[in-house]
Amino acid sequence: MIAPLVELAGRRADGGADALWRRVERTTVAFEWGRLKSAGTTEEAGANLRVRHRGRVGVAGTTAVEGNVLDRALASAELGEELDLAFPVPAPIPPLTTFFDRAAKASLDELIGIGRSLLARLERQGCRVNVAIERETTATRVANSAGGGGEYRGTGFGVSADVWRIAGDDVLVVSDALEGADLPSDEGLTALVAAINARLDHALRVVAPPEGSLPVVFTPAGLSALMLPVTQALSGKAVLQGISPLGAKVGEQVFDPQFSLTDDPLRVGRTASRPLDDECVPSRALCLVERGVVQRFIYDLETAARAKAESTGNGRRGIFGKPVPAYTNIVLGDVGAQHAALLPLGGGLLAGITDGLLVDELIGVGQGNVTGGTFSHPVALAYRIERGEITGRVKDAAVAGNAYELWKRVGSFGNDARWTGSRWAPSVLFEGVSVARR
Amino acid sequence: MIDRLTAALARSRADYTEIRVERTWSTAVTFRGRRLEAATASEDQGGCARALHAGGGWGVASFTSLGRLEAMVTRAAELSRAVPVDPPIRLADVPPHQADALLDLDGDVRDVPIAEKKRLLEAYNGDTLAVYRDEVSEYWYVNSEGTILHELRPEVTLSGTAVARRNGTIEKGLESIGLRRGWHSVQDKAAGFREVAERAVQLLDAPRVKGGTYPVILDPELAGVFIHEAFGHLSEADFVYENPQAREMMTLGRRFGKPVLNVGDNGAAPGLRGTLPFDDEGTPTRDTPLIKEGILVGRLHSRETAAAMGERPSGNARAISFRHPPIVRMTNTYIAGAPGGGSFEDLIGDVKLGVYACGAFGGQTMLENFSFTAAYGRMIRDGRVAELVKDVVLAGNLFQTLDRIDHIAADCRWNQMGGGCGKAGQYPLAVTEGAPHVRIEEVLVGGDVGAA
Repeated sequence: MIAPLVELAGRRADGGADALWRRVERTTVAFEWGRLKSAGTTEEAGANLRVRHRGRVGVAGTTAVEGNVLDRALASAELGEELDLAFPVPAPIPPLTTFFDRAAKASLDELIGIGRSLLARLERQGCRVNVAIERETTATRVANSAGGGGEYRGTGFGVSADVWRIAGDDVLVVSDALEGADLPSDEGLTALVAAINARLDHALRVVAPPEGSLPVVFTPAGLSALMLPVTQALSGKAVLQGISPLGAKVGEQVFDPQFSLTDDPLRVGRTASRPLDDECVPSRALCLVERGVVQRFIYDLETAARAKAESTGNGRRGIFGKPVPAYTNIVLGDVGAQHAALLPLGGGLLAGITDGLLVDELIGVGQGNVTGGTFSHPVALAYRIERGEITGRVKDAAVAGNAYELWKRVGSFGNDARWTGSRWAPSVLFEGVSVARR
Repeated sequence: MIDRLTAALARSRADYTEIRVERTWSTAVTFRGRRLEAATASEDQGGCARALHAGGGWGVASFTSLGRLEAMVTRAAELSRAVPVDPPIRLADVPPHQADALLDLDGDVRDVPIAEKKRLLEAYNGDTLAVYRDEVSEYWYVNSEGTILHELRPEVTLSGTAVARRNGTIEKGLESIGLRRGWHSVQDKAAGFREVAERAVQLLDAPRVKGGTYPVILDPELAGVFIHEAFGHLSEADFVYENPQAREMMTLGRRFGKPVLNVGDNGAAPGLRGTLPFDDEGTPTRDTPLIKEGILVGRLHSRETAAAMGERPSGNARAISFRHPPIVRMTNTYIAGAPGGGSFEDLIGDVKLGVYACGAFGGQTMLENFSFTAAYGRMIRDGRVAELVKDVVLAGNLFQTLDRIDHIAADCRWNQMGGGCGKAGQYPLAVTEGAPHVRIEEVLVGGDVGAA
């Protein structure tokens, strides 16, 4: 279905065409406030077509099979900007397992069973639990008029849980999720339960927040506020727009030598992994920052064409809209194996801290002037560290700083690296983070 | 289409079945600076069947291929049977409605060539990221209780993000317009774009607000975002109906603020983006008082949450598209203007040192805690508006902050912005917020206190 579309488009558009077709089937089971509540299924398919005609690029998408997607793409190209966009010729595509039978074949009853077992293990006096299980199978085809293209099937499995405790006006929510391409293992589910319970246990006692310039440990989840400015700045799009503080820093030591960052689409078992991107470019692991030195930026075809660079295989497109440069799996630090043992909260970084903070979740990450690196967020879930131990949960506190400044002087990386969505990171200790109480 | 849907309903073996089908035509034009980044037209269609068996949970099946309609109705019924629920789900009574509601298209955007939309945006745009987006959605809804709805729903949004840069300092200005109307309503909007671009440049020279606790006056835009984020989500009954502790926290009759505070949600307010005649369960929309003279008096319901709590469905079950089932959502949420509350000047007259927080770059609540980033601020000194300040981030505890609202002006205004509300993976939902100028006795501003 996609090859004829690209062929037809290639005949009418003098500069060629490319397209993505994707079909998704999703099954979900939801437990609300401790009881099974609903089951759902989704079947969705659609195509996204891009053409280059008279030097101009146009895009159209559709879920309606009888729709006139080619006409609309050509109409879009009439308005489009002139762009020297070349569609990639066929190239070797790396082998990669993206489809896991056990995940694809898991029955509705198995999904319900996983949810029930999680509920049972998370049950606790005075708390209410929500659990969601989601299984997805996808089929993707990409092709272009230069003969490039490929197809693959994928699976995805997500398990998420949140535990609520409301005592008077104190609302405590601890949540975590497990996401991968295969059915989760028992160890994985056990680790999920342990991670939630550890954070709950420490949260039951509320203590006064510390104040001042202090050592702060950000958990893998808590790191978002510090990662977001850096990943935005490493996007070729931000560089092209001239708003990336890292735009002119390739080859420079910008960060602490402990800081390395890789985009890795070839990690087996991750839902963001893929053998080629959504624009027919074969996947490869891409080192963005190596030991603190900026190496390169991510590009899709169009951003690369404008920047006179090469696509890095980071093109992502949905059914609607045009392709954009986007990360696959972001790996912070060395690519290590997932720890089998259950590690205590804090990744072994708490021992030397006399008075400080452990931050697991902040409020408002992504608001405001992210690219500039400055942040200031109240804590959603954070703990006080005193004499190397977690002494309780801290409310009514805020942390502030500048992500670029902090990454210049990393205290230490923890030994608890894990996946949070599609980011692999350990806990990280920074000295001298501004902590305010209110 | 209606005949096909009612025939599929008739074959369903579930005790309750509903089907929604949507067909949406949309166009989008994006400028980055003077460069057109994209001009696209899309067509999206699909449906969602939802079913309930006695003693079963919800079975939901969504699809993009209308050829699968009958099979997916059957699938929804099977899924409901597969998830036993005890106690069973009940739905509050809503009398069946039949309606053919074609909202005023106000210049059908489908009749306007995309080149003309490009010209419109080009005229508004300076050196900004500017986005024009429109859609018309044809909507069908039927349920097994006899409700049959057909609607044509327009929407048009315009936004501009101006970025000012100097020596590594970057400042932004954001203009956003969102209307449930058509082509005629987005003409003559150049002034707003110019204003945000000028402000972004001014912010380059503005100092950061000095962190600390201040009396704060929220402008109507930020006050609207505040009431939506910080209070509105707590009033959604799906948060409380099966959680006894949450229910206790949100007991009707609890005092939430001073008598000057009145809050509501009105899905029937004429001409707003969050307005529709019916919600996505076929319940008519209405004005629901939430806080009356400081006291909690109501909440937002779906048919399920209303039945579970013995309250009346409020027409707040909404889905962003056929890809999702309806959940409890806001529509047009407002703080009512205080009759006799006076003007903005009356609010600042006795403020010696305070902050006037204007516009919203964003806001997030984690239930009782919130954080809002104002687009910009002005200091208030000795009862007068003084210098421009930036990086105005307000943070606090919801309950304390609502209780500290001590003065509300009479100048209530709907903020017809683009963007939308997100919940449970459903984003962006078209909502509107409305508020007058609001004074809070004391709020923490910025996070730099005690910085090294």
